[in-house]
Amino acid sequence: MTDTRQVTVPRPVAGARQVSGARLLWTVLPPVGALLIGLLGWQLVVVVFGIPGYLLPSPATMVHTVLGELGTIGTPTWVTMREAYVGFLLAGVGGVLVGLVMSRWRLLERGLYPYLIVLQTIPIVAIAPLFVVWLGPGAVTNTVVAAMIALFPVAANTLAGLKSTDRNLVQLYTMAGASPLVRLLSLRLPGALPAILTGLRVAAGAAVIGAIVGEFVAGVGGGQGGLGYVITESAVRLRTPELFLAVLAACFVSLLLFGAVVLVERRLLGRWHESALPVEE
Amino acid sequence: MAGLADVRGSAGPSAAESDAAGTALVEFVAAEKVFGNGFRALDPVDLALAPAEITVLVGPSGCGKTTLLRMAAGLSVPTGGRLVRRTERMSYVFQDPTLLTWRSIQANVELVARLQGVPRAQRRERARRAIEMVGLTGFEKAYPRELSGGMRMRVSLARSVTSEPELLLMDEPFAALDEFNRDKMGAELLNLWRLRGLTVMFITHSISEAVRLGHQIAVLGSRPGHLVRVFRSPSPPPLDGSAARDDAALRALRTQISELLGGSRI
Repeated sequence: MTDTRQVTVPRPVAGARQVSGARLLWTVLPPVGALLIGLLGWQLVVVVFGIPGYLLPSPATMVHTVLGELGTIGTPTWVTMREAYVGFLLAGVGGVLVGLVMSRWRLLERGLYPYLIVLQTIPIVAIAPLFVVWLGPGAVTNTVVAAMIALFPVAANTLAGLKSTDRNLVQLYTMAGASPLVRLLSLRLPGALPAILTGLRVAAGAAVIGAIVGEFVAGVGGGQGGLGYVITESAVRLRTPELFLAVLAACFVSLLLFGAVVLVERRLLGRWHESALPVEE
Repeated sequence: MAGLADVRGSAGPSAAESDAAGTALVEFVAAEKVFGNGFRALDPVDLALAPAEITVLVGPSGCGKTTLLRMAAGLSVPTGGRLVRRTERMSYVFQDPTLLTWRSIQANVELVARLQGVPRAQRRERARRAIEMVGLTGFEKAYPRELSGGMRMRVSLARSVTSEPELLLMDEPFAALDEFNRDKMGAELLNLWRLRGLTVMFITHSISEAVRLGHQIAVLGSRPGHLVRVFRSPSPPPLDGSAARDDAALRALRTQISELLGGSRI
């Protein structure tokens, strides 16, 4: 879908590119084929060796469970989604602000950066219980854990992006009498955008991990458990199909966010940046 | 006088006022540069840039060419002597195109004029003329990465005139181009100079480029940077683009300069 949008943009120099149906099939068929072959092999292994369902459910059982449990997985998915996405937004806004502040005041960069790294190196599983103690179990804690783990990639990339502004362009702006605010909004932030978006991509995955780890530790808060809770509970009870279903749901939550970031990236960077362009043949 | 910039170094005014005083657009009066760590970048230099002339600074790297250019731009203050610049309307052209990669060619050409607060309609018209002048009409909506290196440099040149400068400061603007594009851009610059009557301060390490473009050629030496000699071109770029030039005299000047620079025929 995004590929077609890319192509509708007029490109006077490179010339318009056509995406044919054959090309689309070439993109879609191989991974789908690989998936089907994989599932078939899985089913065969389970049936031929008579592996019990609690160890490794067959794809057929899975499909059955998925259809039967779709109603029950909805709520935990929604809970985790909310925690991860709100955490991601907090980390996104906070990370860009931290990056901005550190790039503006060298002293703050010196003072804060080591602690950001420390924050990043603390195993999240180890620190999550602390947040449960402080904030109590529940969505708030999980959101905070998600935001905390997603903050660093955004802050670090924003800082790196802002610091790599072309010095000659800065000189050009200065000579033209541009104020620091104009310089920031018209030159430095747009220039840092590719780096910021890279940070957000990393943060997208991290936020979902953070939310689920928070749920592992914090469990059910206020009667509503997320996917992390479903995963621990299904594992303890050896309800493997449900476990798989929860894992799939977590993938979905993660991919949806990642996809959204990539869409925003394509839209914002459009034609001007290499990373947002399809590879030329 | 409007827009007079008089940047004095700590040593104060020097006695060595040149005869061009009062008429030159930019004037270095015993201007020197010693950095805080004691590094001497430039011995005192006396040099005057006459209006509507191209002054080329040529010399090996580390000879203080860029320091002089930055002084003229007001980006660097002489630590001794002084610099007089009788205009505020100036543009700087870098060795790289130095474009905003996320803006269209049109927006890039308008950039400096926009930052200076030139009204929209006016800067549109200026940009249109500048784009036409450098032969990029039809590429207004393209993005820098879609253009070749030579074309990007043209965009940079178009941008530099859209603020309608009197003084064009160019720091090895064509050094990154291949010889073919370099000659073409040189011709482009002369064209620009003819149309606008610009005063140009042009840095290069190519002696042939210096001789082709300069009315006045200042040869600099290095360690520390110092002015070796200033030549008046025996056959400067004519106002009539089709007029013939005295190639023999220019060749002789080129030989003379390259001997002066230690036989290094760059």
